[in-house]
Amino acid sequence: MENILELQQVCKTFPKSNFALEDVSFSLPYGAILGVVGENGAGKTTTIGCILNTIAKDRGTVKLFGKEMSDADTGMREKIGVVYDGDNFPAYWNAKQLCEIMEGLYSQWDHSLFWKYVEKFQLPVKQNIKHYSRGMTMKLAIAAALSHHPQLLILDEATSGLDPVMRDEMLDVFLEFVQEENHSILLSSHITSDLEKVADYITFIHNGRLIMTVSKNDLVYNYAVMRCKESQFLALDPKDIIAYRKRDFQIDVLVSNGKEAQKKYNGVVIDHVCIDEIMLLLVKGERV
Amino acid sequence: MKGLLRNNLYATLSNAKIFSAFMILFGIFAVAVISQSLQIGYVMIGFIGFSVAAITVAKNEFTSKWGKYKLSLPVKRAEIVKSLFLNQIIWLLVGTIIVGAEMCLSWLFHGCPFDQPIDILTMFALGVSMNLFMGAIFFPMFYIGGEEKSEVLIVISLLCAFGIDFAIVSAVNDLLEPGTVCIVSGAIILMIGSALAFALSYPLTVKIFKRREW
Repeated sequence: MENILELQQVCKTFPKSNFALEDVSFSLPYGAILGVVGENGAGKTTTIGCILNTIAKDRGTVKLFGKEMSDADTGMREKIGVVYDGDNFPAYWNAKQLCEIMEGLYSQWDHSLFWKYVEKFQLPVKQNIKHYSRGMTMKLAIAAALSHHPQLLILDEATSGLDPVMRDEMLDVFLEFVQEENHSILLSSHITSDLEKVADYITFIHNGRLIMTVSKNDLVYNYAVMRCKESQFLALDPKDIIAYRKRDFQIDVLVSNGKEAQKKYNGVVIDHVCIDEIMLLLVKGERV
Repeated sequence: MKGLLRNNLYATLSNAKIFSAFMILFGIFAVAVISQSLQIGYVMIGFIGFSVAAITVAKNEFTSKWGKYKLSLPVKRAEIVKSLFLNQIIWLLVGTIIVGAEMCLSWLFHGCPFDQPIDILTMFALGVSMNLFMGAIFFPMFYIGGEEKSEVLIVISLLCAFGIDFAIVSAVNDLLEPGTVCIVSGAIILMIGSALAFALSYPLTVKIFKRREW
């Protein structure tokens, strides 16, 4: 499968804050949505910074459309749409000015597509962005990111701060975008329910380290949590344990194949697992 | 580049609109009143004010994520810096036109506003060089110091520009006999010196900007 984005052993150290991104590797195939999950400060934005060259990586490679992007590769950036969390554009602009500016920046800027999104999202045209609600500014940023016909959307917490109705609306837009087989989305979020709805793959990052990348189908159909008593836990094969967390009266154990675990360990309660619970187990739990 | 210039224009306009209105009202007053010091004040305020309005564009971009967002656009970092330098020149021209218009009207109504017509050359040279020195000092410092220090950097660049102008004028006055040659030489040195500093500041700013991370 060909990848639109590939990261291999990307490292970045921030000596002042003592934070380091260590050997982050993952890939995003064409036509897919990859969700990046992690707690605040886990390294999601740093990873995106390394992809977009807003941060200079110390080591590793980042390949976009099959090659590394330098400052001079403006053509490559024509194919990328970006949305950051919060105010992407100056408050003194309005939608019309934004359109005029973007028109002068992107050779593929689609005036009519932009206005179609503005109308669809019910955004005021002449009102300054400073009068927009948070949801409206995010919608405008998404409209701008889509209106130059990008192939890759990079969304850094683009849905945070939106109410559930707006988030659902945006997720539909993203799903529509990936209908084209050469389109992909990298979506970082700590709202895991969004990722459960749209992502094809999920990457977990914790403390600057990539813990795992897993397909959503695998996660939904195979991953599970075993609710073990102490004695049951001690009887487990360590190879089966991805992470475990001791609770008051039980130990939760994350396993990659719930059905096999069910067969192998009789009498243990096994539940389906959601991304939130996986994240908690990976972040707060222990490894064997 | 077109989009970057348009962005800078909108950003500067938000400050420059108010400043232009002030300059027009102040200009009407300066034309009505016969005062040499008022004329000097008008010229200097005009050049410095428009310089500050243009310079603050760099700072304004970081009140939102636009400064960071720009790096994901299909433009090189050098072009982003170039657009800021070009914006500075555009607003220098706007300042020159407004100040020049006021000076012409004052001359039309009251005759030459200075002791001798050639003094106008010195005034304009001082104003233009202040504007260019400010930009030349501010932009590289801005990308070193960061957006949160921009206010103090504007003040520092203004004081440095004033200091450099003052040093050049003093040196020329010390070295040359008072007279037309001294005035013209001083004006030429101010103009060439500031233009050179502005031109050299561009590659330096690009070099610094390329190393900045957001």
